[in-house]
Amino acid sequence: MNAFWQRIRQRFDFGYLVALVISLFVALLIGTVILTVTGYDTGKALGALVGGSFSSKLYFGNMLEYAMVLCLCGLACDVGSRAGIFNVGGEGQLILGALFAAQIGVWLKDVSPWIAIPCAALGAIAVGGFYAFIPGILKVKLKVNEVITTIMLNSVAVFICGYFSKGPWKNPSPRVVSDTSPLNRSFMFTKLIPASNLSTAIIVSAVLTFLVWYILQKTTKGYEMRLVGDNPRFARFAGLKADRIVIIAMVVSGMMCGLCGMFRVYGAAGKYQSSISNDYYFEGLMVAMIAQYQPIPTIIISLIFAVLKWGAIYMEDTVGVPIQIYWIIQTAVIFCMAGEKGVRAAIHNAREKRAAQREILARREGGEAHE
Amino acid sequence: MNENSWNFWTVASSTLNQMLRSATPVALAALGGLMTEHAGIMNIGMDGMILMGAFTAAAVSTALTSAALGIVASIVFGILVGLFFALFTVKLRSDEFIIGCALNTFALGITVYLSRTLFDSAGISNAPHLGDIAIPLIKDIPFLGSVISGHSLFVYLTWVLVAAMWLFVYRTPMGFWIRASGESPETLRTAGKDPEKMKWIASILCGVMCGLAGAHLSLGNLNGQFGQRMVAGRGFIAFACVIFGGANPVKVFLAALMFGFFDAIGLQLQSSKLVDADLTSAIPYVITIIMMVYVVVSG
Repeated sequence: MNAFWQRIRQRFDFGYLVALVISLFVALLIGTVILTVTGYDTGKALGALVGGSFSSKLYFGNMLEYAMVLCLCGLACDVGSRAGIFNVGGEGQLILGALFAAQIGVWLKDVSPWIAIPCAALGAIAVGGFYAFIPGILKVKLKVNEVITTIMLNSVAVFICGYFSKGPWKNPSPRVVSDTSPLNRSFMFTKLIPASNLSTAIIVSAVLTFLVWYILQKTTKGYEMRLVGDNPRFARFAGLKADRIVIIAMVVSGMMCGLCGMFRVYGAAGKYQSSISNDYYFEGLMVAMIAQYQPIPTIIISLIFAVLKWGAIYMEDTVGVPIQIYWIIQTAVIFCMAGEKGVRAAIHNAREKRAAQREILARREGGEAHE
Repeated sequence: MNENSWNFWTVASSTLNQMLRSATPVALAALGGLMTEHAGIMNIGMDGMILMGAFTAAAVSTALTSAALGIVASIVFGILVGLFFALFTVKLRSDEFIIGCALNTFALGITVYLSRTLFDSAGISNAPHLGDIAIPLIKDIPFLGSVISGHSLFVYLTWVLVAAMWLFVYRTPMGFWIRASGESPETLRTAGKDPEKMKWIASILCGVMCGLAGAHLSLGNLNGQFGQRMVAGRGFIAFACVIFGGANPVKVFLAALMFGFFDAIGLQLQSSKLVDADLTSAIPYVITIIMMVYVVVSG
């Protein structure tokens, strides 16, 4: 029994778990204070926030689909940051992937789904990967800060998608402003819960998630990536092609985002529209940050935040609280988690200082005694 | 003269006029960003700082029906945001990247939440705002007058602040200490100054400048409006300008002017209906990427 506990202790970082639970609690407390101050029915609102995702099959299905999106985006961020490059441009990669996947579906509307769906997936992967390759190569070859370039590319992607969905690839119907034509129904992933966003895409995502976890944690490639991310100089001395590993990590990250965009179109929306992603990648990025870029915590925290997100949507519908409280709570968790390390270090420092002072005092007294 | 004829001087003057307008919020935020850059803090949270400044200015201006009080509020709030940012990045030694990202999302959440709760709408419009100032004498100079005159107070304030910031950074002991706190904190400590304190000061200054940038966006540039997408990545563009200008206030301002110039060209193309609006809107962002690449390639 003791050996069992020891193994668990080695495997899990209990300090992290405690910090996460406390942070979630504090964040909900901050949310409660804000709700109370701004004059909402706090009890009802909190009940809806926590329980809303389980209020109906529809919300439950949408919640699971959203967890899938968060998880894919969060893992995409994990893959990049593992090799020391931060992909903040997932939003652009995601919507471009969605746009191209949707349009490929429109072009191939008369062929068999067995051809069209893989083509669309490949297209989305290629576009997402290419869009991540640009900042990747700039970072590696020229040392251009990838955070700025990826964020700028996000804005560029929004305008590219706007241009195509309002212009050449627009649904010909005059009633539509900025959508592509709807997909052939037979191309859509089968819905697991009718009318909700939840489709068989989540099964594909689960396989993908397992693969990413396996590659990052269990293979030499994953280990090499970590080496490059932690200490690029050492990795270079160890004979690793650090630049190549960073670019590959970035491109894979972009591919995952592109594929996630394709899942949004083929699993839920049925066409490209500007609401295909509403800064979803940034929420995934937050999840990855809270998970400290570790795959398994990313999966768990995706679920927690998906529950809160659809709970917040339910809360807005039933209690009338603006959904933005969700972002406030999410970032409060991050601030708590980020501050926790500092607080712990401060307590540790104070303790050390006191111990050192005591030692000096003791030594001085000891010295006086000798004299 | 034919009324439809394309007059070079009119287009040029309105482009340059727009350049000064577009450059101002970026320049103000970048003046703050160069302080944190000198103090050795990577500040990518400026976008959120600007958004919160814009909301504070618009909300207080609406509530108290005074644009001046709105601006004062945005400055006070900027100090608070700077303190908050420094608490995490300096005191608690959190990851600057994480705090910056979280600050941006937090700003989006809190501003829209408060806007919807207090004003029953995701945006604010028609808050009391600043009028344009016509400068006597200069406004009558043929070409120059229509470029330089007729801006909001913030545009002129920015020019003054660029000079003041240059003097502060390069000609005062405090500026020297702040630069030292980023470049060589241990030396500064040996000299008897606390580098952490300098970082706090830099962070507060950054908060104030971003607050002003936000106030300019809502009360100076637009007619008392606030919307959740109004900052549109200007905080990041300001960050790029800081890098491009090597954190020297004058060079950073020139970088912001360059951004403003391309933004103005985009707007001109848009109004000429020659090119699709979505494509011209992307110009400033592409230029920013090119700026970032250029700065590395050139040295």
